[in-house]
Amino acid sequence: MRFLKTLILASAFAASAGTSTLAAGIDDPTRAPYYDAFKGKTVAYVPVAMGFDLTEGWADGLRSTLEPLGIKFEIRDPNWSTSVGAQAITSLITEKPDVLVVHNPDVQSYARLLKKAEAAGIYVVQVNMRSSYSTDAFIGADYVTMGGQIAQRLIDQCSPDNGGSGKIAVIQGVLTAAASAYQMKGILDVLESHPEMNLVSNQAADWDATKAKNIAATVLQQHPDICGFAGFWDVMDIGTSAAIKESGKDVYLISQGGGEQTACDGLTKGTYSELVVYNVPGQARDMANVIKQLLQNGNAPGSTKTTLFTPLDFLTKENMKPGDCWSLPSNG
Amino acid sequence: MSISNIIIRWRYRFIPDHLVGEILSKNWIDNVIPMLFLMAVIGVFGAAIPDFFSAGNIANLMRQWGEFSLVVLALTIVIVAGGIDLSVGSTFALGNIVALALLNVAEWSMPAVVVATLAIGATVGLVNGYLVGYLRLRAFLTTLVTLIIVRAIVDMLLLEYSIQIASGFIDSDAWYFLGEGYIFSMPFSVVVTVILALILHLVLSRTRAGWHILAIGGSRRSAHNIGIPVRRVICSTYIISGTLAALAGLLFASRLGGAGADTGIGLEITALTAAVIGGNSLGGGRGSAAKAIIGSITVVLMVNSLVRLGITSGANSLLLGFVLLLAVAIDIRWVKNRLKVLSNVYVSPTLAELPPAPATVAPSPYAVNDRLGTVEQIGLDEIDGPEDVILDDNDNIYAGDRTGNIIKFFAPDYKQREVYAHIGGRPLGMAFASDGSLVCCIGGMGLYRITAERKVEKLTDETKRSLFSVIDDSRLRLADDLDIAPDGRIFFSEATVRYEMHEWAVDCIESRGNGRIICFDPNTGETSTVLKNLVFPNGICMAHDGQSFLFAETWACRISRYYFDGPKAGTVEAVIPDLPGFPDNINRASDGTYWLAIIGVRTPTLDLALKMPGFRKRMARRIAPDEWLFPNINTGCIVRFDDQGTIIETLWDLGGKNHPMITSMREHKGHLYIGGIFSNRIGKLKLDGFDPHWTGQKSYWGRK
Amino acid sequence: MNLRLSQEQIVFGLAVMLCIGFAIALDGFLTTHNILNLVRSVSILGILGVAMGLVVIGRGIDLSLVAVMAISVAWSLQLAASGMPLLYALALGFLFSLVVGLINGFLIAYVEIPPIFATLAMGTLVYGFGRYFLFNLDVLYVPDDAEYMIWFGQGVLFGIPVPIFLFAAVCFGAYIFLRYTRYGRYLRAVGDNQLAARITGIPARPIVVMQYMLSSQIGFIAGIITAASVLSMNTRIANSTFIYDVILVVVLGGIGLSGGRGGIRNVIVGTLLIGILLNGMTIMDIQYTVQNVIKGVILLSAIVIDTILNPRDEQTAQQGDI
Repeated sequence: MRFLKTLILASAFAASAGTSTLAAGIDDPTRAPYYDAFKGKTVAYVPVAMGFDLTEGWADGLRSTLEPLGIKFEIRDPNWSTSVGAQAITSLITEKPDVLVVHNPDVQSYARLLKKAEAAGIYVVQVNMRSSYSTDAFIGADYVTMGGQIAQRLIDQCSPDNGGSGKIAVIQGVLTAAASAYQMKGILDVLESHPEMNLVSNQAADWDATKAKNIAATVLQQHPDICGFAGFWDVMDIGTSAAIKESGKDVYLISQGGGEQTACDGLTKGTYSELVVYNVPGQARDMANVIKQLLQNGNAPGSTKTTLFTPLDFLTKENMKPGDCWSLPSNG
Repeated sequence: MSISNIIIRWRYRFIPDHLVGEILSKNWIDNVIPMLFLMAVIGVFGAAIPDFFSAGNIANLMRQWGEFSLVVLALTIVIVAGGIDLSVGSTFALGNIVALALLNVAEWSMPAVVVATLAIGATVGLVNGYLVGYLRLRAFLTTLVTLIIVRAIVDMLLLEYSIQIASGFIDSDAWYFLGEGYIFSMPFSVVVTVILALILHLVLSRTRAGWHILAIGGSRRSAHNIGIPVRRVICSTYIISGTLAALAGLLFASRLGGAGADTGIGLEITALTAAVIGGNSLGGGRGSAAKAIIGSITVVLMVNSLVRLGITSGANSLLLGFVLLLAVAIDIRWVKNRLKVLSNVYVSPTLAELPPAPATVAPSPYAVNDRLGTVEQIGLDEIDGPEDVILDDNDNIYAGDRTGNIIKFFAPDYKQREVYAHIGGRPLGMAFASDGSLVCCIGGMGLYRITAERKVEKLTDETKRSLFSVIDDSRLRLADDLDIAPDGRIFFSEATVRYEMHEWAVDCIESRGNGRIICFDPNTGETSTVLKNLVFPNGICMAHDGQSFLFAETWACRISRYYFDGPKAGTVEAVIPDLPGFPDNINRASDGTYWLAIIGVRTPTLDLALKMPGFRKRMARRIAPDEWLFPNINTGCIVRFDDQGTIIETLWDLGGKNHPMITSMREHKGHLYIGGIFSNRIGKLKLDGFDPHWTGQKSYWGRK
Repeated sequence: MNLRLSQEQIVFGLAVMLCIGFAIALDGFLTTHNILNLVRSVSILGILGVAMGLVVIGRGIDLSLVAVMAISVAWSLQLAASGMPLLYALALGFLFSLVVGLINGFLIAYVEIPPIFATLAMGTLVYGFGRYFLFNLDVLYVPDDAEYMIWFGQGVLFGIPVPIFLFAAVCFGAYIFLRYTRYGRYLRAVGDNQLAARITGIPARPIVVMQYMLSSQIGFIAGIITAASVLSMNTRIANSTFIYDVILVVVLGGIGLSGGRGGIRNVIVGTLLIGILLNGMTIMDIQYTVQNVIKGVILLSAIVIDTILNPRDEQTAQQGDI
């Protein structure tokens, strides 16, 4: 009865407002609370730095989903400085946004701050690189598994059983970054059970293409029969690829990244042999969904812990489809 | 009077031009540009960020500032000594990781961790200090290499321990207090920093060690040559720097508890920026704790606010870089031009309208004559510049000279002389006190007394600082002449508070009331200012009534009378408002009148110039001091006048050969003894018709 | 016979010793391929070293070098990506680097800001300017159709990689400039004693401006080679410690920071030592962090040996020389 009454009232109201004629639809009862849950809310986003595909992609995805709902979306850009990032989070704790999205530079630096933020009543969502403190949600790749899978792919390609030399090399980013450390563990775990594989070089190139090129060139020089490289970031591995190209050898290069169009182009051009892609727009969507869920449920921050591992795509020139990569809307 | 004249008069009366120069000559003015810059930063970001001034925001900022400021202080010490320490960022990171590793992995107790961390910082500093101080390596290069090495060590430690640190749990309230605790509602790091900054300030400005550091920064070679242990001092600056950087790392560790890979990367650049923005000169010699503090606040506010504004990283760097350049450019120009500007604006002439000069031809009482032509010369070429002369009961002459002595010429023929007392400063006016001690104004030193036993004692060299003075006018710069009241109080003039003694003529270019008359009371030992804003007050003489004294204002060419006792106490009345020249000392004459020395005669050009302050200002700015218009002091005279200001007689040296340069004269037993500040003799003139037994001593103290 | 060795000789000796050591201990160190690779890998560092060397000989320092290199080339790439013909884009980038050099020189010569600080701030400013006004991303890619540009970075001529030729050409050019042209001599004179140079009628301030414009230009060339060899330009190196490596190459080779001393040969020697070290350690698969420690210790010992053999005198040291 009550529902009917509301309905009558609502349609009468609509009619009197003169907006529509008699097309009296039924209003979805969850709509109002849904939109109310977001009214005047603020989401703050602290990446490691803006200005590269991952963080720009997340920011873009979050903004396009959240802003139409009336959520204020703020970016604090520490520009690769952990201490500035820590400052930003510290100030945010006093400013009290409703949700904090954090991209950790390493596993510990922000851990205590994130705990404090939750204690201050802020939902904390971590993306891609997690901290040692688990917060309301983590969205990102499962790096240990990923490392294992990459090692497996290299074994498939390079194992002497499959006609390779068994020699492989790894070019990491920064040794202490979560992505590097977890992945390395995954790789080493798998390689342990494959004594026929020989990890001839394992160096860090600081996410820098020039350094990667120099390391790769030397490794290629020393091990002319090397079969595979695993690089930890597609942007850096352009350097590795250039070194391989200059040596004129056929070496398998497996790289990884957020799947931005440039990387896929690289796949087409043969810069990389294979790419492991965690879909950035997908991660952004997952984050947005988790945020919406947190805001609607209204549980106390820190009371629930959700982990969403991003599905990984192993792309090669052969299996790549046009929709596998994405572009930043305002590239340039 | 025309309107424009009135305007000019009011303009010079109410616009205090001279304050500009006085402010510029202060030491603290060096911090003004950085300080203004800080204000601008606060203003801009305060307006742009809504809750900028909220307690929460300020508390956050302060804690970060505390750590950062320690690093800036560390760098400042080294920079002041003429070096640079680029390794502070790495040492900071080392302090951070070592503290965390010792706590989490080795599980040491908190105090042990603190000591060990500081010791490690000091060790890094010692390496730097040994290399730079003792081996004389280049600071920039050496610390650049230690930066790389220490950073690599940090990276190795990180690889080894970061996982264990991440999983460790520290159960120590004392440890968390370092990073999160408060003392008197101030974050711990801020308290530590403020205390250390104060210590550094005191050390640099008040101690021998600090002076050594500044001297080495100013000129390492000279410091070495005068025997400062250059190497040891330099080495210790690096040790301090390393220790402070490690301390900052320790606090950082306690606050965040994380061993990030990029901890402290680029910190040396930010800290250097802060130090330089604060006004510390790269290359040494100029710097202070205050500058480090101002600079660090500015940088912390800027970096933090730019991030908070949420603008993209590009704009952040753009703005930071631009602001840095601007701040340093302004500071450089400032340092370079401050003294130039100061020398341009310090001399600030004001309007001085002298009454028309009376004629010096008959029938004027000032009419020129040659009565000084017969002056006898005492001690010709044996005394250099007797500003004042005085005689004791036994007719001996005392006169100051340019080398800081008081010379005594023995009666009766004054052929024999001795150094009665050596003071060091320039003796000017003198008077005998009732107990026979000689009280003397010493230019640049103050008021002194030479007791009958020839012991030199300081009576006073300071007075109370006036309320709104910019330059410190508590010290006596140019005590000039004095006289002693019957109750023993000593009244003396200080000619100017803005110039040193040798710049007396510049004060004439200004012709402002820069001088004052001060009273020293030997009974209470207190010094107080009696009259202010006098135009170069010079001679002082107790009037015969015992309730007032006469005083001369040199550049105002007038004699006035001040009552310190009696019914008119506290009032000043004019005695002679329009002298033809610049009056100097006044002394009693035996017949109840007064002698007045006129040091030089006014000239129409200078009189005109005094009416044109703008002209004198341009003169002071544009041409060399040697070319300035100066008052004439080559030809003067002696004037006798009475209590009403009537001129009774005038004594000139027409030929200018015998005694033209006159700053003082004393009547003694029928003779007049004449002194001149640029003279090489003392003159003695027989006076006809004056009491041949009268002496100053008798007149003042009634003895004999 | 004078047994006093200059720093250059010490460093050269060290390099030769390391070279011999590696040749004995490491298989495949002393092969043509590896040596070419070694030189190629440090040729960009060497070119930047030449740029920095010129400035240091002129008693300055250019901390904005890497930022200028990264941003000017990145802007060129951005322009090319948005459709401008590559040549025009590169010309504009070159112009940009010149303007930055001009501003640096102006700030140092006329505003009299200490070079360390002026160029430090300029580096930050240029990076920010680029990121804010010129492009949004950290990494810019070389367009596919830029074959001749890529050739600069990846091409091979007579079996030798092109960057090595470019390194040699830059060294040769700078050598001729310093040794045989009037302005090169002026540069050295100004670096040795600016006041004296001024008194003798050398236009000291314009020379200072020139030296920073030169270093920016050479930086741009190094940037082109960097971008071409890895097909992209990562602007983040503007904020990295790469600039420190460049300074080390210069000073290690024996160019005194107090100006007026040294030449291009010193840069080459310094570059070689760094190249041999890095190459040998990479062959040995020494961890990156450990490499840094070893590099640092060897650098430090080179400086210490130099100081012990050629001690600085309290009486003749220049004031304000850090």
